Amino acid sequence: MRRMKSSTFALYLMVISICVFPHGSVGLSAQKDERSSMTELVRNARGLLVLYTFQHAEGNTIPDVSGVEPKVDLVIENGKNETIQNGVLKIKGSVSIHSQDNISSLTKAISQTNEVTLEAWVQPENLTQAGPARILTISKNPNERNLTLGQEGDHFDVRLRTTRTSTNGLPSLSSAKKTVEKKLQHVVYTRDRSGTAKLFVDGRLIKEQKISGELNNWNGSYQLGLANEHGGDRVWKGNLHLVAIFNRSLNLEDVQQHYRAGPDAETKLMVEKKADPNAILFETKIARLLSNHCLECHDPATREGGLDLSQKSTAFAESDSGKSLIPGDLIKSDLWQYIESDEMPKNRPPLSKDEKQTVKEWIAGGASWTFETIDPALYQHQSDGIRTFARRLTVNEFIETVCVIFDVDISSEAKKLLPPDLRADGFSNTGYNLTVDLGHIDAFAQLAQIVIERLDIKSFAQRFEKGRTLTDDNMRKLVQDMGRWVLRGPLDGDEIDLYRGISTTVASAGGDFDEAVGFILQAMIQSPRFVYIMEQERSSAESRYITGYELANRLSYIIWGGPPDKTLLDAAERYELQEPAKLREQVTRMLNDPRAREHSQQFIVQWLNLNRLDTLSPDPKMFPDWDPKLAQNMKRETIQFFAEVVWKQNRPLADLLKAQVTFLSPELAQHYGLPPQDESSARYDLQSVSSRGGLLTHGSVLTIGGDEASMVTRGLFVLHDLLRGTVKDPPPCVDTTPVPTKPGLTNRGVAEMRLKNVACGGCHARFEPLSFGLEKFDGLGSYHEKDHFGNPLREDGQILIPGTAKTLTYETSAELMNLLADSQRVQESLTRKVAQFCLGRPLMAEDAEHIQKIHQQTQKNGGTWQSLITAIVTSDLVLKSPAVPLSTTSHSNVEKK
Amino acid sequence: MTHPKKISRRTALKGLGGITVGLPLLEEMMLTRGWGAPIAEVPTRAFNVFFGLGIPAPLQEEGYDGVLEPLKPLKEKLLIMRHVDQVRCDAKGINAHFDGSSGAFTATPPNGEAKAGGASIDQLIRRSAYPKGLPNGMVSTLVAGTFFRRSRVSRYVHSYNPDGSVAATMQEKPRDLFDRVFGTLGSAGEGDLRKERLKRSVLDTVVDQYKFYAGQRSPLGASSRARIATHLERIREFEQRAYEMKEKHPQAPQIPNLSQLAHGGHADPGGEGIDMPLKDLTSEWRLMADLYALAIQIDRVRFGSITFLAAGERLRITGDYEYNGKKVFTFDDEKQLGKSGSGGCSHEWWHRFNEKKSNEQLRAHAHMKMQEVAYFLSRLDGAEAQEANGQSILENSLITVSTESGDGRHSDSKRELSGIFHAITGANNRFKTNQILDLKAEGVDVYNTMLHGMGVQERLGPQDREYRAVDKIRA
Repeated sequence: MRRMKSSTFALYLMVISICVFPHGSVGLSAQKDERSSMTELVRNARGLLVLYTFQHAEGNTIPDVSGVEPKVDLVIENGKNETIQNGVLKIKGSVSIHSQDNISSLTKAISQTNEVTLEAWVQPENLTQAGPARILTISKNPNERNLTLGQEGDHFDVRLRTTRTSTNGLPSLSSAKKTVEKKLQHVVYTRDRSGTAKLFVDGRLIKEQKISGELNNWNGSYQLGLANEHGGDRVWKGNLHLVAIFNRSLNLEDVQQHYRAGPDAETKLMVEKKADPNAILFETKIARLLSNHCLECHDPATREGGLDLSQKSTAFAESDSGKSLIPGDLIKSDLWQYIESDEMPKNRPPLSKDEKQTVKEWIAGGASWTFETIDPALYQHQSDGIRTFARRLTVNEFIETVCVIFDVDISSEAKKLLPPDLRADGFSNTGYNLTVDLGHIDAFAQLAQIVIERLDIKSFAQRFEKGRTLTDDNMRKLVQDMGRWVLRGPLDGDEIDLYRGISTTVASAGGDFDEAVGFILQAMIQSPRFVYIMEQERSSAESRYITGYELANRLSYIIWGGPPDKTLLDAAERYELQEPAKLREQVTRMLNDPRAREHSQQFIVQWLNLNRLDTLSPDPKMFPDWDPKLAQNMKRETIQFFAEVVWKQNRPLADLLKAQVTFLSPELAQHYGLPPQDESSARYDLQSVSSRGGLLTHGSVLTIGGDEASMVTRGLFVLHDLLRGTVKDPPPCVDTTPVPTKPGLTNRGVAEMRLKNVACGGCHARFEPLSFGLEKFDGLGSYHEKDHFGNPLREDGQILIPGTAKTLTYETSAELMNLLADSQRVQESLTRKVAQFCLGRPLMAEDAEHIQKIHQQTQKNGGTWQSLITAIVTSDLVLKSPAVPLSTTSHSNVEKK
Repeated sequence: MTHPKKISRRTALKGLGGITVGLPLLEEMMLTRGWGAPIAEVPTRAFNVFFGLGIPAPLQEEGYDGVLEPLKPLKEKLLIMRHVDQVRCDAKGINAHFDGSSGAFTATPPNGEAKAGGASIDQLIRRSAYPKGLPNGMVSTLVAGTFFRRSRVSRYVHSYNPDGSVAATMQEKPRDLFDRVFGTLGSAGEGDLRKERLKRSVLDTVVDQYKFYAGQRSPLGASSRARIATHLERIREFEQRAYEMKEKHPQAPQIPNLSQLAHGGHADPGGEGIDMPLKDLTSEWRLMADLYALAIQIDRVRFGSITFLAAGERLRITGDYEYNGKKVFTFDDEKQLGKSGSGGCSHEWWHRFNEKKSNEQLRAHAHMKMQEVAYFLSRLDGAEAQEANGQSILENSLITVSTESGDGRHSDSKRELSGIFHAITGANNRFKTNQILDLKAEGVDVYNTMLHGMGVQERLGPQDREYRAVDKIRA
């Protein structure tokens, strides 16, 4: 892995400042005039891998001055036909200038991004040299290469090896005739991950061409050479002023900027302009620290001491005791004084020595505050080990995968044999919690056998290979094509060998073709590539765009909860998923598929934990008439309601909180106090039923409050799940035993007593009023005007949206539902919930920026499920993979057998 | 109250009724070193024993004269540690039972509903003592328990990997535990040697794939590799069971009858609690304890955790509670609390704890829990648990007993997570026993001292935190 010298590369904006000097070369004066308005220009070094400026030749070595390690210095071997002077390498005859050390780190860096840029300032000696004559090459010999920039008479020719081109990089990209001139020219060849290759000459795009494929087949043993092919015979004559290679594509703006900067980078290379380290400290440590230690008493709602530390505008403002935070002044910053003396956090453990040091450094260093508001919901998780986790397929996903790939239904057996997936962080598809035990291994083995027993192996195999012999050619072709389908992506040579080996074993045991295929499929079904969603998690200082097949799998499991279909796999193979327009086409197609609708149900089932209703057992003394079937009807109501609002009416997701429609069995209608209809699940228009409408009025949700219809539990649900609020533990010296209702005292009355209590009210005010509008619904969701003591019940109240200081009042539950549905905070929370479900992991602080973009795009497109899913799967959260360190310390025992 | 007769190594072979299944490992052990023969060298073992709801710190001050009385017969082999604080485990905004129980054995706050903040003691010891893995055929980590509240995994699972994920799947029914440790596999044993050889070939191919993804050339990151490595370990165990130890012993024991208690969603209906006759509860628990102890005795298991009731458990317990043949108390939570649903659960006695009052009901419940914890510990201390060095498994192992709360009123996180009850065994004379020590120390320091005593280099908690040894627990 090639890295900048600075270990903090990722945190710094690295630029190269280049002084432009007058140049005496032919034809340069005009270009100099073109660039004359700038005496010093900046070259963007992001992605730079090698750079030769020919300013610092040392003996027979041309040093790589990129500053990237390991360096790729070039060695001049014969030293007769070239000179280096004033930053120019002049080639007059056959030369041998090439790298000597292993440059696999360079090729690997390019393979990882699937992007490459080659930049050169060149002045050809003539317009007849051909071959093409090699200006720059990364190759082995005239027929095997990774990349070559050449001159073919009067035009440029670039050969790039991809998984779709020949090993010689053919077909190449050639510019039009007469694009090569005998003057100094700025040539940039850049190819992005979607396969679009562009050639710029002197800042102008002169050729664009599709060079499909991936760069992961680059050969790391090839050497970099200038002005000739390895082995000779393709000499290029002329002057080279600068050569650079990047592992990213350059856009027009970049290219033109580099063109304006000119070729003569003098001495200011690699001047690092560091981002404000104090700002980095704030973003990486201080925001989390303030969130975890300070905001429970110093947010907009509490503002103890008149101090709100959640927002930039208030954190530096006057509090009751003056300014608490004065950048650069520890003595006058009360915040530091209180923290240092352990007076704060009040009634909480003091900050650790290290935490105090961090705060001290931050304030002393200027107390940078780079975003307006600190949202505590973002800091509930540490990122370590959560963002990237090979996700085992859930039970449902395993069933669906088998069903799509083999057209075999194993749902009843799988649900019986596979251990159930447990909920974690609100969903049961949370990757880190999808562990594996002996029961899984046994189940996978049994299920694989069941699949094979039910599969028509002959016709299945014939989908991929007509031949039915156990010969090597036949079996390898079968394994390759069948494996691509079963394992959701192409197999490499080792994998083909491995599975082919099974057929050999079967043959040697006297088995036939079908038996061999059956055993190969059994192995595939139990393999990690089937059981897990596997991706390349390469060590990288930066995030990377995932490959087409990886993206196909992400798309299909997010949208369908199952494997890619043939169309999607084919699109991946054609590298179409890297093209935004074609990606959107696929997403639209997938969202229109019934599987998308079916899988979306999993979201509502998991988010609201609807399977909880399967075991709902209310106290028979309180609810003697309870029928367990009602619980199933409630579950069905919510699922059908979701389908109606999200799919049939295609309404904004937040309308789930206020849509005036539902679906009831006669029994549930009666339970709700509505007229029963004959249908087992009748549609009810609730426009005239003021008490009902929206998820929070469903029995499935109302029952979370338990038999006593706890305002605390219901309020906490709204706070946590809809408003992304956090709340501290009960304060000291309070008996938390629920206070019973009695004549003259309703649940609301009990709650209001708590709100008036100095010790309780501060926190309970954040969530209990959120459920005041639900008081008329009892523990099982029936509607009453009075409780069982005859106390009249109310539905008015007020809510405080976290992060704001202003309370909003409502008179009816319907108004509450409208307030929630219209709240931007709620809409954002729904975006986050769906994003968590899609990603299969809790969201982190690092995701916030992406989520914000997703949310904005979704709202712009109507706020619907479809627009949200589209925004998610076309965001960098799905298109890219985060940087992952490759640790080698964890599992020394894995090779043991 | 009567309980089923305890299971011992020998009685296990004779069967207790039910369906006979193969017991491959037992036979292998008989062949390799003789049934019941002590292991020549005492292996390193570590187990975490968790019980729910805790013992308020003031009651711990009464020593063995109070609710700790049932542990008294084992006092020479236990070190009671009082004034152990887990305040750094407080996770604001999260259910107090949850973070308290997450802190037990890890000393770190949770990092997700089903994720601890780091490794548990037993897992660090396992990795240190057996860096290349446990001997073939062993269950690398056994997690089991009798519990009902289950809203968050950390309430009842108490063995965690260094990345905070659970170290093994919970076995919550006696039959599950039996199958996990002793049972045969549904996919094994067709009796067709040719087919089995081919199936083995399939498995070899699968293993190669997992080895690649878990190995040094893996393209995966550390977390993913760890997950695949765990998968690989399970496959190897599967291989042992399926292909190498599947001959049935003619005197194979019989699996336990199906559990009669509620499990899964039925055990925790919306947090409202369930009715629980004491006899049913302790009968199932003791069967679990017997099976778990048997697995240790026959050296099938060396690491793991066992749970008697989850953190914040909600049960409406009824029935007479006896100790040493005498009735101590009659449980009838719902009636005594005067409430139904969650309000009628024994949990509420902890909310009502008041050190100035008698706390009669809480005392009875806590006493009962100590009797059941003592039951498990005693299974590792009888004649059948004697080892080559003349000590019992209980004495030779590091067994940590802990809980979630030192108070129970949820009224002050500092107080609630202070004075958490802890007891440990001597771990083959590494730690003091037959004492009650007031440590006045943080749990992370106590745990790290235990790890140090066990020769483990890794430490729990923040890696940049200064290690403050609590040497007074060292022998």
